[in-house]
Amino acid sequence: MNNDYDINLVEKYFEQELTETETMEFNIRMETDHAFKALVDQEKVIIKGIHLDGLHRDLLYLQSLEKTLKQKPPGEDRYSKKIGYYAAAAVVTILSVIGIWTYTSSNSSEELFLTYYDKPYPNIFETTTRGSAPVPSSLRTDAFKAYDRKDFNEAARLFTELQKTEKDPGMLMLLGNSNLMIGQIEEAKLNFTTLLNDFDDLDLPAKWYLSLCYLKSGDVENARKMLKELGETEVSYATKAKELLKEVD
Amino acid sequence: MRCYGLPLYAFIIKRNIMTQDEIITKIKNGGQAELGVVYETYREEFLHWIMKEYKCSTDDSQDIYQLTILVFYDNIKNGKLEHLVSSVKTYLFGVGKNLVMEWRRKSGRSTPLDQERWLNDYAMEESDNAPTEQMVHAARNALSKLGEPCRQLIEMFYYGKKSMEEITEELHYKNAETAKNQKCKCMKRLRKLYEEEKTRTLIETPYEQ
Repeated sequence: MNNDYDINLVEKYFEQELTETETMEFNIRMETDHAFKALVDQEKVIIKGIHLDGLHRDLLYLQSLEKTLKQKPPGEDRYSKKIGYYAAAAVVTILSVIGIWTYTSSNSSEELFLTYYDKPYPNIFETTTRGSAPVPSSLRTDAFKAYDRKDFNEAARLFTELQKTEKDPGMLMLLGNSNLMIGQIEEAKLNFTTLLNDFDDLDLPAKWYLSLCYLKSGDVENARKMLKELGETEVSYATKAKELLKEVD
Repeated sequence: MRCYGLPLYAFIIKRNIMTQDEIITKIKNGGQAELGVVYETYREEFLHWIMKEYKCSTDDSQDIYQLTILVFYDNIKNGKLEHLVSSVKTYLFGVGKNLVMEWRRKSGRSTPLDQERWLNDYAMEESDNAPTEQMVHAARNALSKLGEPCRQLIEMFYYGKKSMEEITEELHYKNAETAKNQKCKCMKRLRKLYEEEKTRTLIETPYEQ
């Protein structure tokens, strides 16, 4: 059985955090202590497994991305009116850093979407903040955690699965946002419409995001209708809606 | 010039608004979203080039491009690629060319590219004291049994090369110390699971050892 000191030494070696003295000790023990060397070799295998697993996961992601790109009509890759499903996430960071928006001045629905969809709806429904104690895993907690860590592909998958057994407005809101983030606009529209039709909660944000879905898919007419409704309210979305409506018009 | 379709980030890369080093930093600090942006940015040009230059089929070209992007991404994450003397595009074309040559040399022109196999070989080649494929397979099995949030944390740290501060923020831990303690606990569990997997593998395939 390896002791904590050895484990710590090995972990520090792989994290490149060994001090000079520790490096000397490490090298000597690698030459003389077979059990210690076996521990190092085992750690190497495990890290290799983690690396390979990560590569496979990213390969799957690229394969699924390729499928969505293939669905676009020819010639749309570069100048299509649809954005990739990570656009919104990238825009948040880039806009704040570079202020690039002044670079483009078009009022196309696509660009309006990019301007106004600054971030997905926050998860205010289920906290996933962790202390030191492990959090028990369940489909529900995994879905919220995936959303919190911005893994929207995974969140959409898990929330869709959850919807089969339990319907709740918060989950629908996050599912709609996940779908919007990954470019599944029709699904997102359906989520927000269901939220509006079946529940009394979250009507205003649902209308706001639904109007953005319409904008993203180029359906300016429906976006205008939805924004007008929102603009007539006296709550937080009204100002944004009026502003956007002006631009759509 | 207006940006009509590509995500804005891709547009910025294309128009050289970001320097090559800034692109690398962005990818290094990012995740799958950034990977996807780079993928889409150079996809059309790369596929067109590789199909024309090496007479690859559409499917093979896409497979090669996906592996090329992964190599690029992996090299950035591992700190092997910190500065580019040329452009990202030139770098990707270089990786792609080597990949095609290597694949054709090993498998011949008529054999389709096996991405899974290629990725395994790529990952295994990096070690001096190479562990067997079976051992790494056992490690992957152990990882799959680890559960969340451990798997995510471990992968962010060892594969994504995220700092404890970044992990704390992304996975909502109280602070970096808590995240580090959690990582140690997760690794302890993973080592135990690996031991079990290894034993199971030994029992199931005794003659291959």
